[in-house]
Amino acid sequence: MPIPSLRPSEGETYDASQKPPPFGHSLKRYFALDDDYVNLNHGSYGSLPLPVLFSATQMGYEIERNPDLFHRFKVKPLLDKARESVANMIGADTDEVVLVPNATHALNTVLRNFEWREGDVIIGATTTYGAVANTIRYLADRSEQPRPEAVVVTYEFPLTHAQILNIFRSKLRDVKQQRPNTPFTDVPPLSPGHDGANPQGNKIVAVIDSITANPGALMPWQEMVRVCREEGVWTVIDAAHSIGQEPGINLREAQPDFWLSNCHKWLYAKRGCAVLYVPKRNQYIIKTSIPASHEYVSPSSPEAKVKGTNFAMQHDWTGATDFTRYLTIPDALAFREWLGGEKAINDYCHKLAMDGQKVLAEVMSTQVMDETGELTLNMPNVALPLPAERTPGEIYTPEQLKKIDLHLRDKLLNEWKTYAVHYFHAGRWWCRCSAQVFNEVSDFEYLGRAFNAIARGEITAASWGRGETFSEYHTCLQSIGAERYGGRNALKFTIP
Amino acid sequence: MPIPNLIPSQWETYDPSQKPPPFGHAMKRYMPLDEDYVNLNPGSWGTLPLPVLFAVTRYAYEIERIPDKLHWVTFQPLLNKARSAIAKLIGADTDEVVFAPNATHALNTVLRNFEWREGDLLIGASTLYGAITNTIRYLADRSEQPRPEAPVIEYNFPLTHAQILDIFRTKLREFKRQYVQSQFTDVPPLSPGYTSDSTKRKNKMVVIIDSISATPGVLMPWREMVRVCREEGVWSVVDAAHSIGQESGLNLGEIKPDFWITDCHKWLYAKRGCAVLYVPRRNQNVIKSSIPTGHGYVSPRSAKYGELGTNFVGQHTWTGTADQTAYITIPDALAFREWLGGEKVINDYCHKLALDGGRRLAQILGTRLMDETGELTLNMTNVMLPLPIESTPGEVYSSEQIDDINVYLRDTLLHEWKTYTSHYVHAGAWWCRCSAQVFNELSDFDYLGKALNAVCADIRDSMLLEKTSPNLIFPSYPALAHL
Repeated sequence: MPIPSLRPSEGETYDASQKPPPFGHSLKRYFALDDDYVNLNHGSYGSLPLPVLFSATQMGYEIERNPDLFHRFKVKPLLDKARESVANMIGADTDEVVLVPNATHALNTVLRNFEWREGDVIIGATTTYGAVANTIRYLADRSEQPRPEAVVVTYEFPLTHAQILNIFRSKLRDVKQQRPNTPFTDVPPLSPGHDGANPQGNKIVAVIDSITANPGALMPWQEMVRVCREEGVWTVIDAAHSIGQEPGINLREAQPDFWLSNCHKWLYAKRGCAVLYVPKRNQYIIKTSIPASHEYVSPSSPEAKVKGTNFAMQHDWTGATDFTRYLTIPDALAFREWLGGEKAINDYCHKLAMDGQKVLAEVMSTQVMDETGELTLNMPNVALPLPAERTPGEIYTPEQLKKIDLHLRDKLLNEWKTYAVHYFHAGRWWCRCSAQVFNEVSDFEYLGRAFNAIARGEITAASWGRGETFSEYHTCLQSIGAERYGGRNALKFTIP
Repeated sequence: MPIPNLIPSQWETYDPSQKPPPFGHAMKRYMPLDEDYVNLNPGSWGTLPLPVLFAVTRYAYEIERIPDKLHWVTFQPLLNKARSAIAKLIGADTDEVVFAPNATHALNTVLRNFEWREGDLLIGASTLYGAITNTIRYLADRSEQPRPEAPVIEYNFPLTHAQILDIFRTKLREFKRQYVQSQFTDVPPLSPGYTSDSTKRKNKMVVIIDSISATPGVLMPWREMVRVCREEGVWSVVDAAHSIGQESGLNLGEIKPDFWITDCHKWLYAKRGCAVLYVPRRNQNVIKSSIPTGHGYVSPRSAKYGELGTNFVGQHTWTGTADQTAYITIPDALAFREWLGGEKVINDYCHKLALDGGRRLAQILGTRLMDETGELTLNMTNVMLPLPIESTPGEVYSSEQIDDINVYLRDTLLHEWKTYTSHYVHAGAWWCRCSAQVFNELSDFDYLGKALNAVCADIRDSMLLEKTSPNLIFPSYPALAHL
């Protein structure tokens, strides 16, 4: 049966020769989000524009007309085109860029390809994304040697970039000093003392966020890469949030050893779609894609001399998958061009983030995390109107933290129809917002009112009668020193 | 902007209270394939019915309304429903079943979770799927210890099931004798000599067994091979990529493989890519981490380990942001299959067509079937192509020629004849592997035969001209005299 003829409905198509609507709520018509949903959490899962979704849907049908023809002939040139367009954005060669299902997958590809030896060290941070921290832990958890050791740098925000660099550099030096008998001679190619592809001794690999998740903070990652290069430490940059948010990414200049980013977060691509960058000098480390591919080249085979580890080709095909997410990257980029391009988009989002966080802090009578402006691109972090503790456990038990987290999420999504990430960091509750082209300052105002109401434990008409979870929350608030005021059974407390 | 109101077009929906069309070309209306494309290769990529594709599309839009809600609230129950449905189909508990992006990924999850020691054996076969062989090779290629050895069992078809079992058992015992330095005391839980004392477990043998091989597309006596493994103390990892939706009587609770993997998008009408990883409870401690490692990872050193163990199911619920529509629309695929009459009805038709179609094709090509006894064929039939056979590798074909011929076959069949079947060299001869689906009929095999005769004649006349030698064995094909 011929595939249905798909006609784009409103919002699924645009006239590239016409000006787009202005940034703000009028752009909501091009996104699939519910009109009454105040989405201040674009950063978690991304939101692809309707024209890109339509494109992907169309391609999905097209593929099914003749899967053999599509996969054997049409995929490769389209995939190369998508890779090239991403490579151009980040200052890399096409053959240094491959597309993988998501950033966690990319990160696993890198960390699992290193051959770990007894004495090796992997450095993460307290702010490393959960799944990434778990990957490091898993590698260190091998029940017998060889396995690396996992070391963690502690960051407690707010911090300035200078402070972060200091902490980081000191930690690197500490790690080496505390292990005087470990020869850290397996250094990356650009570091002094690099000894070809068959290095002796041990290595230190640092996983560095370009922009952390909780809090959503821009790190001085390029300087950290430079420090690592000087110290002979391999750098794996978890830049999940970077592409489409961070301006001026030039990997040829920054020269990280490995870099990865999610295209479905800020670049308007279809979920899940990430880019893994491995400069040519390091491709010998990535022996295999995950999962292994038909194009794997055994190091002992004659092909190895010609193809090396065949990095790019291995990643063309890693089992049957939905290719539309990779192949519609050019559609996402075209839409962004139409909106005015990367600079126009991010100028708007950045300004909105800065203005929005001020308003949010005012409405909640709290404060922004980023006092200097260094840490914020499009994701501002603002304290929530809940008590802060000076030492862990002073106010909140782990169970209470969990309860409050669940309660916040439930109320925000189900009653207030809004969302922003909420998290507990260094004794305080915070929220992390994402400013996108369809947001306006009024969204931040609304979010502030929602947080105020939830934090005060106000019962709205919708929650009346949902006894159980609510009384748990009441008990929770009571135990942390909230006081009851009469009438509507609501609780309030003073905000330090 | 509200998501568009998606209205299914005529064949994207069906009335389950009405009878479906008969099997054969009448069924094509529910498939998105081009009308004029004679698809005898759905075994490779699968093809999903239009109603399932529509369900996928609808979810894709639905998810975008409030992405956070899907991920935190709506998704989990849908995933569990799909897992339950699959578990029922394969005779497993729901909590022994998780999804993976594709079979290769699931196999990598198993093989990479084993902690390999010097002296371990990771046993493959000459007929394993290429990417799986490469996974084994990668693990054995580690530049320094510890790494497994990777011996390979050769199968040259045609073989009967009895012959396959014989080769298999003999080889396993041979390997045990051959690798004298290894102490194979790390046996799976159901094998004699199993001990839970990890200090007493030294080396292990792990073997990958195809339930149905890819090229050739043959049914292996895998259930008996699993039993042999159990007796011999060898871990069995079954690559059953082609099984679900094609092979009936899958009762894993009875068959008891150590690990079992299948693709739902090949024969079960699910969206590409969607695979099932089955790990019985007794072996879930081996799977320490999903791939990639996710939020659900539980460190053996943590307090939670006592309660959650390796958290097999929890780990695989979320392995990074992904498109979940393939998994959550499995119930739609199963509902469609029910409407068609259910697993037995579907596979009775496809099996009969594979047998009849294969015989017919062999007649047209003037060659023969690979499967002489009928043991090897479910819904995929292997027929020899009318091209010279070599008795030793390289006698007729250089490896470049093999590549060239494969490319020529592929290009010409797809572009000029608008048909396709898998083609490959095995044991010196050229074969094709056809898949029989509910939208195929015998005439499809007629058409393919015509196409293959023409294309093979081209190959013989142009590519192999210089290589004609009196010692060559040509399959007897009197039919060619008519071309």
